[in-house]
Amino acid sequence: MIRLSGVHKTYRTGQTSLEVLKGVDLEIGDGEFVSIIGRSGSGKTTLLNIIGGLDSDYTGKVEVEGRKLSEMSDRDLSRYRNRHIGFVFQSFHLLGHMTCLENVILPSLFNGGDGGLSEKQAQDRGLELLAQMDLADKAHARPIHLSGGQKQRIAIARALLHKPELLICDEPTGNLDRDSGDAILKLFSQLNERDGITLIIVTHDDIIAEAAARVVRIVEGNVVEDRRSEPNKNVDTSTSQREESA
Amino acid sequence: MSGLTQLIRKDLRHHRRHFILASIGIVVGIAAFAFFLALGSGVRSVVLGEIFPLDKLEVIPRSTDVDLGPLRVGMGKDTLNDEAAKKLGEIEHVTGVYPKMKLTVPSIAAGGKELFGNAMRTEMVADGIDPKLVAEDIDSKYAFAYFDDREATKACKTDADCGETMLYCGDPLPAHAMTADGATAGEDEPAAEVADAPKGKVCRHYVPVIASNHLVEIYNGTIRRAHSLPKLNPNFVLGLKFDLRVGASMVRASKRKKVITERGRLVGFSDRAISLGLTLPLGYVSRYNVLFDDPNAAKTFHSIIVDVDAKDNVAGVAKGVEDAGFDVADSGAEQAAMLIAVFMMVFGFVSIVIVGIAAINIMHVFFMLIYERQREIGIMRAVGASRANIRTIILGEAAVVGALAGVVGVGLSMLAAYGFDLVSAKYIPDFPYKPDTYFEFSPLLLATSVGFAIGFCVLGAVLPARRAAKLDPAVVLTGQ
Ligand SMILES: Nc1ncnc2c1ncn2[C@@H]1O[C@H](COP(=O)(O)OP(=O)(O)OP(=O)(O)O)[C@@H](O)[C@H]1O
Ligand SMILES: [Mg+2]
Repeated sequence: MIRLSGVHKTYRTGQTSLEVLKGVDLEIGDGEFVSIIGRSGSGKTTLLNIIGGLDSDYTGKVEVEGRKLSEMSDRDLSRYRNRHIGFVFQSFHLLGHMTCLENVILPSLFNGGDGGLSEKQAQDRGLELLAQMDLADKAHARPIHLSGGQKQRIAIARALLHKPELLICDEPTGNLDRDSGDAILKLFSQLNERDGITLIIVTHDDIIAEAAARVVRIVEGNVVEDRRSEPNKNVDTSTSQREESA
Repeated sequence: MSGLTQLIRKDLRHHRRHFILASIGIVVGIAAFAFFLALGSGVRSVVLGEIFPLDKLEVIPRSTDVDLGPLRVGMGKDTLNDEAAKKLGEIEHVTGVYPKMKLTVPSIAAGGKELFGNAMRTEMVADGIDPKLVAEDIDSKYAFAYFDDREATKACKTDADCGETMLYCGDPLPAHAMTADGATAGEDEPAAEVADAPKGKVCRHYVPVIASNHLVEIYNGTIRRAHSLPKLNPNFVLGLKFDLRVGASMVRASKRKKVITERGRLVGFSDRAISLGLTLPLGYVSRYNVLFDDPNAAKTFHSIIVDVDAKDNVAGVAKGVEDAGFDVADSGAEQAAMLIAVFMMVFGFVSIVIVGIAAINIMHVFFMLIYERQREIGIMRAVGASRANIRTIILGEAAVVGALAGVVGVGLSMLAAYGFDLVSAKYIPDFPYKPDTYFEFSPLLLATSVGFAIGFCVLGAVLPARRAAKLDPAVVLTGQ
């Protein structure tokens, strides 16, 4: 369960300051598939960074599983990102000097030895994920030789290494063509339905937005719409849920 | 931790060009550092170990001259005698006290035909020392002791009749050598020999003589080349026999006394022998001085060698000596040590400055790399690297770069030292104390050099590492 209440974020550059989030209240339950939409500059990425523990410079309260992120040390926050969250970015963010497999197991290098994956376990898990992404043959290739869709699947494999509960995706299909985008979307649906992973996806892509059970619209730093729709299922429950959470 | 190690390894491999460039300065600085310090300590061990051994002091009578500017007023001297020796022996950390006496009688050494081709004659400067002082330097074949030959009576025809290495078949001691007041006639050398016409030969002891290693060094390094004489190997010279004419002089005729002719034999080399001259057992010098000079000479020493248990205690003993009313002869060791220390400090400092400047270069390179790797660092942060992890990675990289640079630098300096020694052996003519190697790379020096390299690299990387740790992953990943 993720709970944001009264989250304000202001960017200050020199003399000017820009209030990007203006008191966001949002609750996301375990296993939800949420897409966040909104105009460019409305604060979507900013919101994701705060939820993902990449940005600690805000006011308001962000709670994950009952723990306040703002009260966590850098070490704990890093561990939270490492074990509980997977990030997927629009521009993939793979490391060019490492092979695909090395990229996938990168998070295992930071698990500080306590209860994380051993080197061998990480390798096995990485290969398993690559196979799952249909990229087993690319394990020892460099990302530069891969297509956009393949790169994004490597990035997703990396995000899944520690079997996180939450996947945070910032325009994951933004740099992909339709077909690759569809493949990624299918993957996401599968992860959400089969594995119960909570998905928060920022997107401009209507198809993704429609696939999500819940759509949150942000306008100028405010949540202006929080709509639940279960495309082929019951619409009523989602509406009532929306009211509960509002 | 092993995860970070893997990362460091990959990063180093990936950015190796940058790191190699960045570490050149460190390599050069450390090479210079190791080179000069090794040179300094090599020279130091030659100078202080062989030329001026530091574990002994030479005590001389206190000169009570009162220094009144240009007017120096001599006030006489305290004498060194057995009582003084006893007093010195009681100073803490003194392990041995060995009186030394100068031969005050003009004398000539002659011989060496088998060595030099021609018989040589030279004015002899000689010291007498307590044989115990050099016991360990004497070859077991020979003996270094005072032999009283006044009673020598065993008749012989050749050396073989006498049997022992320290005996030869020669003329008995002349009558005037028997007593202290000896002869008073003012004859010259030849006359003396006539006066001591043989009464039949007897087995006599050679006067055992030792020389200093300095003498051989100086001979081989300079005199030999000036006169194109053969190079001396100390082992080869050992056992050399020669004539010793006490009371004879090449420059002036002996005052009033008759000459005593003895056979001398070189029985060893020792650092405790006087540098330029021969060293005899104290008994001989004392007897000659009494015979030719002064009846009181037997009781006064010119100096007393004091053995100190450890180099570190030399200063303390020197103070004790002065407190006891004596002076310490200036051996030059202190100045030499000071000179070498200054040399090492200056070059060590210059090298460290080079390394320091190199560290600034390292800092620049790391700042640049961190700027280049912002995204990489952001990614690592996103997947779970803490600030401390990032810092560790950067500092770890610096440490590895430093260690490699240090090892390469030390390797280079050893190579340079080896080359230097090679050139020296081949092209630099012999000089006294010319060593096989001028360098001494102690394990401590090696460790210190590599340690410095690591230290300075890490130091150079501290600020960049801090900046890297502070990078805001949200900013670098979303590219705003
Ligand atoms: N580090 C920053 N410093 C200053 N201003 C920033 C910073 N990051 C974002 N902003 C500003 O905050 C606002 C919101 O940015 P944000 O990236 O959250 O928008 P977004 O909704 O993700 O937009 P897009 O759809 O273009 O990705 C924008 O006006 C942006 O210029
Ligand atoms: Mg954005």
